[in-house]
Amino acid sequence: MNGCNDTPRRGKKLLTTVVVCAGLMLAAESAPAQTPAEESPQELAALLAEQNTSLAGELRRIQREIAALRADLDKPGFQEVFGGIGYIFGLFGTAAFVASRRRDPKPKE
Amino acid sequence: MHISDGVLPISVTVGGYAASAAIAAWSARRTRSEELPKVAVVTAAFFVASLIHVPFGPTSVHLLIPGLAGALLGPSAFLAIGLGLLLQSMLFQFGGLTALGANALMMGVPALLCGVFFQRFKGRTRRRQAIIGGLAGALGTALAALVLALLLATGGEDFFGVAKIALAAHVPVVVIEGLVSAFTIGFLAKVKPALLEPAFVQSEKAAHA
Repeated sequence: MNGCNDTPRRGKKLLTTVVVCAGLMLAAESAPAQTPAEESPQELAALLAEQNTSLAGELRRIQREIAALRADLDKPGFQEVFGGIGYIFGLFGTAAFVASRRRDPKPKE
Repeated sequence: MHISDGVLPISVTVGGYAASAAIAAWSARRTRSEELPKVAVVTAAFFVASLIHVPFGPTSVHLLIPGLAGALLGPSAFLAIGLGLLLQSMLFQFGGLTALGANALMMGVPALLCGVFFQRFKGRTRRRQAIIGGLAGALGTALAALVLALLLATGGEDFFGVAKIALAAHVPVVVIEGLVSAFTIGFLAKVKPALLEPAFVQSEKAAHA
């Protein structure tokens, strides 16, 4: 009987202790969560400032890189150089051809 | 040393075009067809020379070689320089298309003067030819700076102020250009002296004959 009666009581006790413990743990968890929330403004500010400086440095580097790239873009590349040389030789070749035609207009007839 | 778009007044731009067209036509008439390959090679060299940057102290300067072109080509130099500048302004965005006439005058007239100078004073010996060639190269750039100041003075700038600045900015170019021209002409005098044959005298003979 006793044993039979005891088990549900023990179960209830266990349940209550578990619930209380869980509640305590929750409280314990929420209690330390509240303390950093009180400290957070300063910590957050420090963190943000740190991130800001690192990001600003990175941004400056990227801007410098963009400026260098733009300067590189302004420089003529191989295409332009060889294209221009080709133009020059082509034009003078045409001029030489025309001059040779003019010198003897009827080559072999 | 290139004049950009919109720096010069319109009258000077148009006048520069007219004058350079006239000189280019004269230059083309004086160019003999046997010389066309030589003119083409020097034009290509002039076209590319502006890309060769010589580090000088904190900055770098680039070659211009109007003097060398004048010494090698004589009267054909203006044609070569005009074509070279046209392609430079179209492909490299050096100077503007509207200022092309003024730019051609600025580089071409010193080239012609240097050609006369070189042919008049070069002797027979190789060393003298190299020295005179170097002087012609240096003179070409200095004269180009002076013409630049003259052209800018028409836009209302103070001639002597601009001339002083332009000459001072181009002192390293003048020196380097003189060295490069002296070396090139010395080398050509050794390897192929026919290239230095007086184009002026030849064409004068042809005109006299």
